[in-house]
Amino acid sequence: MDTTQLLKGVLDLAVLAVLRDQDGYGYDILRRLREAGLEDVGDASVYGTLRRLFAAGLLTTYVVPSESGPHRKYYALNAAGRDQLARSGKTWRSFATTMNALLDDRGMAA
Amino acid sequence: MTVSGQEIADYVDRVRAALADLSPKVRDELTEDLPEHLAEVAAEADGTLVDRLGTPEAYAAELRGAAGADGHPERSSLDRRLAAAHNRVSTQLRALDTQLGPLLGYASVSEFLRPLRPAWWLLRGWLVALLVSALHGESPGLLPRFDGSVLAGLFLLAGAVLASVWLGHRSAGFRGWPRWLLRLGTAALLLFTVPTLFNLDQRANVQLVSVYDPYESVQDVFVYDEQGRLIPNAQLFDQHGTPIELGSPTCEQSGDRPEPTNGYPRYYPYCPDLAPFGPPAPLPAPPAPLPAPPAPLPAPSAAAPDPAAPTASTSPTAAAPTEGTSTEASESPRPGPEPTR
Repeated sequence: MDTTQLLKGVLDLAVLAVLRDQDGYGYDILRRLREAGLEDVGDASVYGTLRRLFAAGLLTTYVVPSESGPHRKYYALNAAGRDQLARSGKTWRSFATTMNALLDDRGMAA
Repeated sequence: MTVSGQEIADYVDRVRAALADLSPKVRDELTEDLPEHLAEVAAEADGTLVDRLGTPEAYAAELRGAAGADGHPERSSLDRRLAAAHNRVSTQLRALDTQLGPLLGYASVSEFLRPLRPAWWLLRGWLVALLVSALHGESPGLLPRFDGSVLAGLFLLAGAVLASVWLGHRSAGFRGWPRWLLRLGTAALLLFTVPTLFNLDQRANVQLVSVYDPYESVQDVFVYDEQGRLIPNAQLFDQHGTPIELGSPTCEQSGDRPEPTNGYPRYYPYCPDLAPFGPPAPLPAPPAPLPAPPAPLPAPSAAAPDPAAPTASTSPTAAAPTEGTSTEASESPRPGPEPTR
């Protein structure tokens, strides 16, 4: 199964999750996702997701001047974003539990 | 960083072109941070943007999907048709860009033109300086002038070039109205300065003609009267009474003519012996006329025969004006002393 198809459904949640403890700029967020194991995630997907979450009012942004290179736009969770993360996280856990149970029942190795 | 700002700007342009069917608002929202973001990507690793991110069109498609932005139904069909046409044209231009590149020995024409951008900045600065100079009512020239001063013009030129280079470094990141303003300004600049340059070119050609002096090769001047007789010691003046200075008095045999002092007044011809159409008409009473050289008379003299000629044998006193012909000269060897006998 192509993980890019799965990613489409959960990229919002993944982005919100990596921003939970620490604000980040676009490329930084991409790197955290890849380091976390989502290696197939595309740059445009992350960038587009950030723009959409921002437009939906889940993120705030602020600009930090950089000594080497362009100014960086940092994204941070706001209250609505944390709320969304909590709800989506619950949904995912229950969904994943359901899927794991389904596979366990049929004797599939983890 | 191995990726230039221009490459990023081009990449962003193509992403925006691929999103042309979105409403301008949505498209701007999606791409307003893209240059900065791509600069981060470029700073992190080597290789071109296309190597790392795929084609701008693929990037745009992924971005569109991730951002949940699809064609907006509220857009008019005209808008969509325009966007589609814009897309088609830019696709064709890109194809042309790649097709014509090999003619120049490059992968694409834009790759050939990209390193020439600083040259364009210099040229633009110079054109701006010319325009400012022209708007100040200075006559057009290759160097700008300011209030008639070349030095101030050079300062103006230096300032304009520096400003143009500065702008060139920053304009790659321009989006929205600053970019349109820049394009409009460039178009206006070319519209005003190109005719000026053509004008200048024409003037240069006219000057070239006026510099050529058709009398440059003239060394001496011979004035003939209507009878074809050479007029000695003629003076030439223009309509203002200014002596016309032609040739140079280099001839040694100035004879009994008044010696010009400081070149003035000038008497032509300087060298009567070099007359192209026979010798000079003798002065009223030459003391000892030289035997006339057997020089054939030119057409003008022959057409107007000297009326004095037939009378020469019977009236030697009238010999003076007849010296122009060789036959008369032999018949009257001593016309001068006759009256004194």
